[in-house]
Amino acid sequence: MPRRSLTAVAGGIAVAAALVLAGCSSPSAAPAAGGAADPDAIITVGSQNEPTSLDQIGGGSSGVTEVFTGNVYEGLFRITDDAEVEPLLAAETSVSDDGLTYTFTLADATFHSGDPVTADDVKYSLERFISEESIAARKRQLSVIDTVTVVDDKTVDVTLVSKSVSFTYNLGYVWIVNDTATDRATTEDGSGPYTLADYRKGDSITLDRYADYWGDEPANGGVVYQYYADPTALNNALLTGAVDLVTSQSNPDGLAQFDNDDFTIIEGTSTTKEILGLNDRIAPFDSVDVRKAIYSAIDRERLLDSIWDGRGQLIGSMVPPSEPWYIDLADNNPYDVELAEDLLAQAGYADGFEFTIDTPDSGVHSTVAEFIKSELAKVGVTVNINIITDDEWYEKIYTNHDFQATLQGHVNDRDINFYGNPDFYWGYNDADVQTWLAESEAADSVEAQTDLVKLANQKISDDAASVWLYLNPQLRIAASTVTGVPENGLNSLFYVAGIAKAAS
Amino acid sequence: MAAYLLRRTGLLLLSLALAAALLFLVLRVLGNPVYALISVGATEEDIAAAAARLGVDRPIGEQFVEYIQQLVTLDLGTSFTNQLSVGDEIARRLNVTLPLTLISFALSVLIAIPVGFIAAWRSRTWYGTAFSAATQLGGAIPVFWVGILLITVFALQNRFLPAGGFPRSDWADPADALRSLTLPVLTIAIVAGSDLARYVRSATLDVLGQVYLRTARATGQSFGGAIWRHGVRNGIVPVISILAIQLSTTFVGAVIVENVFGLPGLGDMLLTAIRERDFPSVQGVVLFSTVLVLGLGFAADVTQRIIDPRLRTTLSGNRRAGSRRAAVSA
Repeated sequence: MPRRSLTAVAGGIAVAAALVLAGCSSPSAAPAAGGAADPDAIITVGSQNEPTSLDQIGGGSSGVTEVFTGNVYEGLFRITDDAEVEPLLAAETSVSDDGLTYTFTLADATFHSGDPVTADDVKYSLERFISEESIAARKRQLSVIDTVTVVDDKTVDVTLVSKSVSFTYNLGYVWIVNDTATDRATTEDGSGPYTLADYRKGDSITLDRYADYWGDEPANGGVVYQYYADPTALNNALLTGAVDLVTSQSNPDGLAQFDNDDFTIIEGTSTTKEILGLNDRIAPFDSVDVRKAIYSAIDRERLLDSIWDGRGQLIGSMVPPSEPWYIDLADNNPYDVELAEDLLAQAGYADGFEFTIDTPDSGVHSTVAEFIKSELAKVGVTVNINIITDDEWYEKIYTNHDFQATLQGHVNDRDINFYGNPDFYWGYNDADVQTWLAESEAADSVEAQTDLVKLANQKISDDAASVWLYLNPQLRIAASTVTGVPENGLNSLFYVAGIAKAAS
Repeated sequence: MAAYLLRRTGLLLLSLALAAALLFLVLRVLGNPVYALISVGATEEDIAAAAARLGVDRPIGEQFVEYIQQLVTLDLGTSFTNQLSVGDEIARRLNVTLPLTLISFALSVLIAIPVGFIAAWRSRTWYGTAFSAATQLGGAIPVFWVGILLITVFALQNRFLPAGGFPRSDWADPADALRSLTLPVLTIAIVAGSDLARYVRSATLDVLGQVYLRTARATGQSFGGAIWRHGVRNGIVPVISILAIQLSTTFVGAVIVENVFGLPGLGDMLLTAIRERDFPSVQGVVLFSTVLVLGLGFAADVTQRIIDPRLRTTLSGNRRAGSRRAAVSA
């Protein structure tokens, strides 16, 4: 080939490359810091927590709570960022003397279609939530509902099978949906401050401000949730200004790059407990001494340091500080290798033993498993690690109880009640705890409830029913131009109406 | 040729049917999709209700018959997790994956042909050796690593291009869409182009050593003329199958690249569907990809036969070819 043609080919490649690179002339500029908030600014939220379905009763994704609860759909009550219950669609509430009948008077709200929120909608929504087809996360707690009766357009009576002091709290998670809405796979008809404008599976969900919202106007013009499967891609999006904030930093190693004036790192408390779940039904974990020995052999402080760079918190039971029945039990089973060895000898395992941890491949679980393996080796206990997927976890461990030990991040708030269920995957079976927890729900007052749950809290910790390794920090990162980001995010709640962005 | 086409089409349909059946069975063996839907707190009744809703509690034979009936009517079903039509979802995702694949492929060919040619033709010069080494290196680096490098340089250090994502308006603003695809395209093109250049190099070396080329030169043709008239026509036949394979590989490689760049394409759909055990979506994407890959192979075979008459006679299995072979060996 003559040299001239070669030059032409090279030129062609250059032209092609230039064509592909077309449009590179408008690089996305980082927003200017400072300045007054722009009430019409669109907030772009980066998240890894994409809903699997757009309907609350359709599956166990916390992503659906993050986007829709309190933003697009509203409940009769609202759980604040400080874990308090306040009225929302239920403007007034009265409870019968026997504590079994709740009468709710509804606020003058309308759905996005223009329909008013009526007692019929409430009846429909509550019955739908506990229906057979529902696999909503809180269905079990709400199954205490016996009947829902429409008194008039704006009044509804709910009768319970038994007293439930957490009833209004649990209602905070139940969406009131329009009973005439049909296609909830792609559309919505809620009463919240935002409407669902666009849903692109695998990419984004766009919320528009609802002009006729019955409550306070949001501090922004709309919100786009942009989803990323890869944590690095999410962090890159934040670094390049493609998103304004991330709802949860799941990769602690990525924190350092945001530790500067361009970003704000917001650390709140989460309800996510990293747990080494032991199968309490089988030897050797049916022995309290063995469980306590395992607990005391693990240096949790060092673990928290290495995983979360010291952020987060050590806990000694299932209850985080954001719940009413919290007591500081962090040192109840202290890190003490000698104590661990003594306890093992007492239980007849002076020479140690061997067991397998089934570890989900998601999040930090595999790293935690390696850490535990090396810690327990010091007291002569040999750990095998078996890595499984999240859905295998639900099949093998959650449903079939076919395991010795496992790791899991339990995200739900107020979930100490799992220890009152002997059929739960970890098989903790204590009659006192079961009684206290059952009675607590039927208690006459929140104080009485709190006292009873505290008893259960102390007992499960004394028994080392599981090994509660630590409480995850709730880390959000926002561009410094963004304000009003919720701090705590209990159970994935994320109210976006208060988020504002400075005009650029 | 007609008989060949008929036989080849029959083979294609048989492969597809086998792939569809195998896919169905393998997915069912791997696990129950219900466990990807439930959360901590679900009771046995909830699990049973979810299984009934998905229809996975029915006998597997019944599910299979329904699946085949759907496929015959070109219906890919609805997603287990979000109840969207799988076919519609694939069509939407192709807005990203198809341009990404085609542009990457075109660019990789544009890189590979001159680079591979020079690496062979000037194999004894320093730049020939350099090109050869560069293609070795380019083909050896994992594709996600190239992606990360490009993101670091062009998106994080210099804000030339976005680090990922695709415009929500799709192709409404083509410049914007192209900007989003630039780094992913470069990533694939560098790796795929290097691979392809290796093939071009060896095909060229092969042709350059052929007697017919020397003969053509001896009859007074210029080097370029001889290459164009005889070399390209002889060299292109193996290159066509390589191109078809490479196009399939580029398409499949887009899966990883889409993940690195957070692009909402077919690869992203497949990974999410596998994670969520969303059988209809997994089946849809894999079958679609299978059709594409098998179709490309089919197209390549037919094209080769059109270009090279020798393939038509020797491989189509007719009597004349057999007799000619006998005559030649005699």
